[in-house]
Order: sequence, then structure tokens, then C-alpha cells
Amino acid sequence: MPKVGARHATVEVTGWVTKFVGGDGSGRKLYTEPVAAGDTVRDILRRVSARHPELDAALWDASKRELGENIEVLVNDAVLGISHTLDSELQPGDHLTLVGQYMGG
Amino acid sequence: MTPTHAVQEAVRAVSRQLPGGYAGKLLRVDLTSGRSWSVEWSPEEMRTYIGGVGLGAKILYEEVPPDVGWDHPDNRLVLATGPLAGLPVWGTGGLTVVTRGALTNGATSTQANGFFGANLKFSGYDAIVIQGQAPRWVYLSINDDTVELRNAASLVGKDTWETQDALSAELGVSGHQLSVYSIGPAGENLVRFAAIQGDYGHVASKNGCGAVMGKKKLKAVAIVRGTKAVTAADPRGLFQAADDIAHDLKTNPLAKSLYEYGTLPGVVNLSKLGVLPIKNYTTNVVPEGVDFSRWEAPKLRQGFDHRGHQCNACGMHHCHIQVIPSGPHKGERVDEPEYEGWSGAGWTIGLTDPVAVSWLNTRIDRACVDVNEFGWVVGWVMECVEKGYITKEQLGFELKWGDADGAYRLLRMITHRQGFGDLLAEGVKRAAEKLGGPARECAVYTLKGATPRGHDHRGRWDEMLDTCTASTGTLETGNPVFPQEMGQPARINIFDGDQVAKLVAGLLGRRHFEDSLGICIFTTRTTIQNICQALSAAAGWPYALEEAVRFGRRTAAILRAFNLRCGIGPDFEYPSPRYGSTPIDGPAKDQAVMKQWERMRELWYEGVGYDPKTGKPLPETLTQLGLDWLRRDLWGK
Repeated sequence: MPKVGARHATVEVTGWVTKFVGGDGSGRKLYTEPVAAGDTVRDILRRVSARHPELDAALWDASKRELGENIEVLVNDAVLGISHTLDSELQPGDHLTLVGQYMGG
Repeated sequence: MTPTHAVQEAVRAVSRQLPGGYAGKLLRVDLTSGRSWSVEWSPEEMRTYIGGVGLGAKILYEEVPPDVGWDHPDNRLVLATGPLAGLPVWGTGGLTVVTRGALTNGATSTQANGFFGANLKFSGYDAIVIQGQAPRWVYLSINDDTVELRNAASLVGKDTWETQDALSAELGVSGHQLSVYSIGPAGENLVRFAAIQGDYGHVASKNGCGAVMGKKKLKAVAIVRGTKAVTAADPRGLFQAADDIAHDLKTNPLAKSLYEYGTLPGVVNLSKLGVLPIKNYTTNVVPEGVDFSRWEAPKLRQGFDHRGHQCNACGMHHCHIQVIPSGPHKGERVDEPEYEGWSGAGWTIGLTDPVAVSWLNTRIDRACVDVNEFGWVVGWVMECVEKGYITKEQLGFELKWGDADGAYRLLRMITHRQGFGDLLAEGVKRAAEKLGGPARECAVYTLKGATPRGHDHRGRWDEMLDTCTASTGTLETGNPVFPQEMGQPARINIFDGDQVAKLVAGLLGRRHFEDSLGICIFTTRTTIQNICQALSAAAGWPYALEEAVRFGRRTAAILRAFNLRCGIGPDFEYPSPRYGSTPIDGPAKDQAVMKQWERMRELWYEGVGYDPKTGKPLPETLTQLGLDWLRRDLWGK
């Protein structure tokens, strides 16, 4: 884990989702994002996905406002809905994780 | 034939224009008398019941009365395929087993693939319906028009892979030219979670269907790839549909991982969501010291010498055979575990070495029991031993979390019903209830007697609700790739009971539709519309999403009515204390499903149009589904 500055959050792209950011579908890729006052989960995710078209296509639904069904988002290791929604403000030091949705047996 | 009869025959033939994709006949086998015969089924029945679980549910309801339990000779064992089987759409070797199962003593619908469905279709049959009980061990041999019950004395005691080898040698046919589905010693010894395995790695595993087959003294069904043509009504349309489906599987973000790695990404993904079942639900945190990088999908595959082991007409990189690379079983050929194998033979029992899990998983398939139930049984025993609820003296040996050799020893004891294994062979619910006390509190099961798939549903409430309300002894709904197609949101707050209940109710039916087509659920990770397009082209029906959903809900209602008639009603729609417990750590920590359970059930009942008191589909629901005959049965009006 890289050292995160006082006004930054980290976005961790894991496992299968790394395929959408140039990875091989394993391990993780970390992105450090500056957090300004009022920045929400949605804002930070938008900034990261804007730099990665494949991730952008997989992460958002057709409206491009809401998350699609392909990727789960965790904030500080908790699934969205427990402590945060897309519109929750992020604090410096917060940690987002993108996990591939999984169905099957 | 008299002229009059000839005219009648001609009229019948014209009125029975067979839809494409169908053989048009069911093979019926009475093991008691040793007789087999074929019966035609009508195009109207085909449109109404399609095949697979749709057809099986109808047969079960019509032919298995409530006093015929799972082990009664009159119970039916339906091995059904569907209209896409044998056609050039990916994964079309599909088999659905429908019966009254040994764990819940209720309906069962469980799927496997390989080549069975295609070989059966090429032999001229859409399904096999087996009844009765053979006086001695037999196997069913199908070679085009030659259907025989043959002596299986030499196969008794053999595991499923050995059985397939032996039948391949006996029949002089190998590879894809022969599909063999058999039971192992577990089925012979009526282990309640015995499964039916075929084609070296495909398992119809749920609700003790292998015990049903064992009770009938039917060791195996062997089908030589037949020579009869299966044609699509619109071949060009079928190729287009197959192409669209394949394109989706290769490119859709959600299906792409399945296309490239099968279900291998599941372990890492689910661990982060708190859905990987670790050590029998005692924790949600990967134990310290585990090298989790070995569990990434590419590493799981590259860690073994492997080769593709595709099902009929499949282009997915899903099923593989691999070679054990190290350790005491080095060099042994095994079937690459599905996610459920990594989970049931691994994480659930605290075994975190992929090589050991891979070996144990195939031993479980060969023996042959349901890998999920095995995990819940063995994980429960390991926890009980650790806590002193089961003693070394009771068990007969020392056992600790993650002990692969100990788990294998338990597998043999269960399979042969030896010592403590005799109790465990009854499945986790019965074993836990018999032991009682604090041991019972540690067991993961539903009150119906089923168990979850290899997930920690305390972090996936939709699947817990589905598992507990389902009529088939396992998941009945399953999330589609595009829930929006069925009027559901792309995503929900997974810990909001209201949203969860509405989603599960709203998705009811899709899985039954897929499981009636003779196709794999991993190659239907596309739009339902695409699947309808394939069915339309195959059968020649204009078939659309609305009819698919209605069909699925109709099938669900028939299965539910069957269970209600067997005394399995709403009182059983609950998780055991441990299954419904609140996680004490991990990503789903403190999320208490039972606080919302009653409300979830209430909303689910409302959503599916069933009566919460009796469990029955409401009269108006049945009428909407075109089930007035069932309405009269259930409501007398």
C-alpha cells in the first residue's frame, strides 16, 4: 500500500477488474486520488474511470450516473450501502475497492 | 393397417408437426419389470413444458403422489434435456435431473453438462423417465434404437470415473462418442447427499439424486452418441443466435471472466465481499499466513498442467482437466474444481492449499457426493471437534481444520457408512439434530434439509432467501446478467431486506427457463432475449421474454405445489441458527439478516403472488400462469 497523503484516498482495483485497467486479471492496482472538500464516492470513481475507458464501460450503467451490475464497490472494506452510498462524502485516507461481481457455481 | 387406420395415422402425423430441436419422444424405463418403451409427446406439451425442469416438474407432479417418498420404487427419476441440446449453441450437452430427493424428501432440479443431453437427443429421445426398482444392480445402455438394462454387478463398488472407464471398455466406445452418468459408492450406500456424475467431472449434485438412483439399483446410464439428426426450424437464425450469445460471453464484462476462466475468479471476488464461506461460517476473514495470490484465477489455472475439457459445442475456457503438480498425489489427473469445489472441498473446511483442494474435490466427485453438502458436513465436524462437541473417540481419529487427509478419511467413512460416517451420511441437518445441543447450533442448513451452495449467504441475503424459499433443494432464481430485463434494478443495497426480497421475487423463473433448454447456465450469461432468439430459431416458435418468464414462474408454481403436497410448506423456509447468524468479522460484519427475515418473506410472497399462510400460489396467480388445473387441485375451485 503506497503512503497516502493527508488529502488523498486510494482506489484499489482487484482481481478480475484489473483487466479493465491494463492488468492480467489478478493481483491489484492502486490509484491515489486527491480528495477535495465535498468530493463523493461517485466523484472519485468518475475520475478514475475517466482515465480507463474499459473500466468506465464496465463500471457505470447506460445512464452513466449509476453503477452497473458488473462491479461491486467497497468503501473501507464495507459494501456500498453499509456506511456509504455513491453520494456520501469521502474523507482523506478513505479506501475504495473495486471487485468483480461474481455469479455461478 | 386398414385404409381407415392409414388415414388416421396420416392425419395424426400432420397434426403432430414436430418443432425443431426436438426428438419428439420420451424413453420410459421400468426397472422393476425390466421393460422400456418410448412415448411421443405433443407439440403443445413441448411449448408448455419445453424440457428439462419444466417437463420434469410436470411428470413429478402427475406421477409421484405424496405417499411415494424419495426411496419408494414409484418415485420417478427424470433425466431430461431440452430443445437446444445437440444444436450448435455453446454448452448444449445439458442434462437436468428431476426427482423427489433424499435430503428434503421434496422436489429436486439439478443440472450437469458434458455430452449427455446431445447424445440422448441424437439417440432419438428428449428425456428418460425411470421408475421402479431393479431386482439386482443394472445399468441402462442406449445405442440408437437399442435400449437395454444390463447387468452391473461388475461395476458395484467402482467410483464414477472407474465406472466410465469400465463401460467404455465394455461397449468399445470412448471419448465424446460415449456419455456415462453414474453413481459412486455413496449412491450405492444411499448416502443422502449422493450425486450423479458424468463425463469425468460434471455433477448433478443436489438433494441426494444419487441416492434415488442407488435405491433403484441403477448404477449408470451409458449413451452412445446416436446417429439421428437434430434439426433447427431456422438453421440460419440459430447460427445468428449462437453467434450473438458467443459474442456476449466474450465481451460482456460480467460474462467475460466466465468465458476466460470459468468460475475460478469466485474465490478472490467473494472473499472481498464477505461471501466466501470460511471454516463453516466461523469467520469471514482469510486466515493469516494464507498466500492468497495463489487463489487468483490465472494462478489457479497456471499452477497446474491443464487442458480443455469442453462440453458439447462449447467455446468457453471453463471446464478443464488438470494434473496434480506436487505432493503425495503428484501426477494424478483430476477435474479442475469449479468455484463450488474450491469452496466446499477447501475454504469451508479450512483447507487453503489449492493443490490439496483440487485433489480432494475430484475424490468427492468420484465417490460421489455433493461437494457443497460435504463441505458443510465436514466443516461442522471440524468445528465441533475443536469445541469438544464431538470427541476423538466418537470420530475414531484426530481431526483439525484444513486436514485434507482427515477430510478424505471422513469421505470414505461417509461413502461406506462406516462408524461415525453413518450419521454424517444422513446430511448435516439430520446429523446435527440427532447430536443436538451446542453441536446443532454450529450446523449450516435450511429447515427443509437442504444446504446453501458454497457461499456465505450472510453477505448475500438474496441467495439465502432464494435457498430457503426454493422448492428444489438449492437456488431457484440466480441473478441474470441483466436484471433490468426482468424489470429489476441493475443493483440493489444488498443489506436492505426490502430491496432483496423484491429482487428475488422479481427474478423468479429465469433459472427454470434456462434449466429447461438443455444448455449450460454459464453459456446463458447473456440477455434472455438472446436465449429466446435461439429457442425461436430452434423450435420455430416466436418465443419472447414474456413467455420465458411466464414459463419459469409456471414451473416454479408446479414444483411448489408438489412440495406442499409432500408437507413442505412455509414453516420450513428458515435458515438454521448458524446459517442465519450475524457475521462477527469481515466485510459483512454485524449485518443481521434475521432482523429482517420475516419482512423479507412477507415481501417475497407478495412479489411472487403466493399465500404466505399456506404457501400456495394464489388462485389468481395460477390463472395468470395458465394453471387452472393446478388451481383446482390446490384451491378446489
